[in-house]
Amino acid sequence: METLEQIRARVVAACPEAVVDLVLNASPSAQHSLRVDREHVAGVALFLRDDPGLRLDYCSNVTGIDWPDRTEKVKVKRTVEGVEKEVEETRTIPGFLEVVYHLYSIALKHGPVILRVRTIDRLQEVAVPSLTPVWRGCELQEREIYDLFGVHFDGHPDLRRLLMWEGFKDHPMRKDYVDPDDYEYEPTPHDRVLERAKAWQDRGGVV
Amino acid sequence: MSRSLNPTSDLRAQGVVVTSIQDFYNWGRKNSVWPLQFGLACCAIEMIASTMARYDMARFGSEVFRPSPRQADLMIVSGTVTKKMVPQIVRLYNQMAEPKYVIAMGACAISGGPFKQGYNVLKGIDRYIPVDVHIPGCPPRPEALIHALMTLQEKIGNQQLTGESRPRHLRANAPSEFLIPVQGPHDVEPPFNPDVWNAPKVPARG
Amino acid sequence: MEPLLEFPNHVVLVFAAMAVGFGVGPLILARIWALTFSPRKPGIEKSSNYECGLASAGDPGGNQNIHYYLYAIVFLVFDVESIFLIPFAAAYTSLSIGALLTMAVFLLLLAEGLVWAWLKGVLTWY
Repeated sequence: METLEQIRARVVAACPEAVVDLVLNASPSAQHSLRVDREHVAGVALFLRDDPGLRLDYCSNVTGIDWPDRTEKVKVKRTVEGVEKEVEETRTIPGFLEVVYHLYSIALKHGPVILRVRTIDRLQEVAVPSLTPVWRGCELQEREIYDLFGVHFDGHPDLRRLLMWEGFKDHPMRKDYVDPDDYEYEPTPHDRVLERAKAWQDRGGVV
Repeated sequence: MSRSLNPTSDLRAQGVVVTSIQDFYNWGRKNSVWPLQFGLACCAIEMIASTMARYDMARFGSEVFRPSPRQADLMIVSGTVTKKMVPQIVRLYNQMAEPKYVIAMGACAISGGPFKQGYNVLKGIDRYIPVDVHIPGCPPRPEALIHALMTLQEKIGNQQLTGESRPRHLRANAPSEFLIPVQGPHDVEPPFNPDVWNAPKVPARG
Repeated sequence: MEPLLEFPNHVVLVFAAMAVGFGVGPLILARIWALTFSPRKPGIEKSSNYECGLASAGDPGGNQNIHYYLYAIVFLVFDVESIFLIPFAAAYTSLSIGALLTMAVFLLLLAEGLVWAWLKGVLTWY
């Protein structure tokens, strides 16, 4: 198979308006991935599937990632009382949700090529285009990500919750999910469970 | 050495069987315990194995797994009880005819097991329905299920027909149906049925 | 051996009484048992129709496809045909040529009806 740089160059040549970044993985597995912007991911996916040199006809896995808001300290030059100084400021980088597709080719027996798509933020603008029309096997996995992360897939044929029930409001795999407070009986608590079991005791729930 | 004065065993030694109505009734019931046929997770594989030729639960009179709650005496909760599944299990239990018994099979059915702090697993089916026998294990071996069945048979055999200590199904004021939880926006509501279960009082050490 | 001249009719009555008693006796005993020991505990959930565990939703008296009724009528016609055919087949050897011809006309009409229904697409389920 071609290297990811070559694939990226060919994707950009085929879809010139698409924004395709190379995301490097520094770990020993070195599974680098391609990040594509929301507007053009469907066209890029079709190219990856139909290009005779790639023919990535099998989407083996779809995953969600929750990137929460994070703060970063930056040094900014400011003019304070007429003197230019270097001041340290904290700024908040808004979080987003990311969907990761692992693609293989059954016809040419190669892979994986990893595709990433990001939402704008975590709460309101959580839509990405669905790739179920490209790879039929994504249907249930995208439903699972909709259920557990709250990513909205535009163009999905049947976007319903998969594991949790209809009427459930939360998205349990998000980093800020708080599970229900039912720690009233914990015979062998430790770490976080111990804290929550003690909170129950402090409220007088259990002696 | 004093001689036994038990007339039943004396007569039995002479080849005469004498029994009471209660013992006869319980003897019949405990040797025809028909389980409800449903499995929830991997424990169900062991439950299936225990009905097959190698372990053969039929020897204890419970070979007929019924596909309908109306014909079953015993509910074997075999596996992980997810919060999505709880209302269905309690409803099936409510639909079973009295007398009805429950075996909670495996760590998940007892307490949630390895998934206890998960977002979608109930922390033990005994929060909603009265459990007669708990089997620990992940999953329990078929021998353990057969042992649970024998324990249940012993329990049935000792149940009183009259008097204050008679079991639930013989008391007119005791409930036969239990509260079916509702799936709410964050959790099943209520998180447990206080008529059936209350948190045991253990201090959280650590 | 001397043949039985008089069959004792009262023996039949005794056997009949035993047969009925054997069937009805346990039912009566079970009823007495239930009235004495086990209280009745009916309930809404317990006596609901469905036993799959899910709460029933929607109206059970839903509409059937109109196609089903055509299919059912064709089935009924051939069901009635078999009722006519069985006595005909049983008495086949002792019947006259006229009866054979009558039956042949009857079967021909039915077969014609079948071909017509087939061509109209009644037998295609969709």
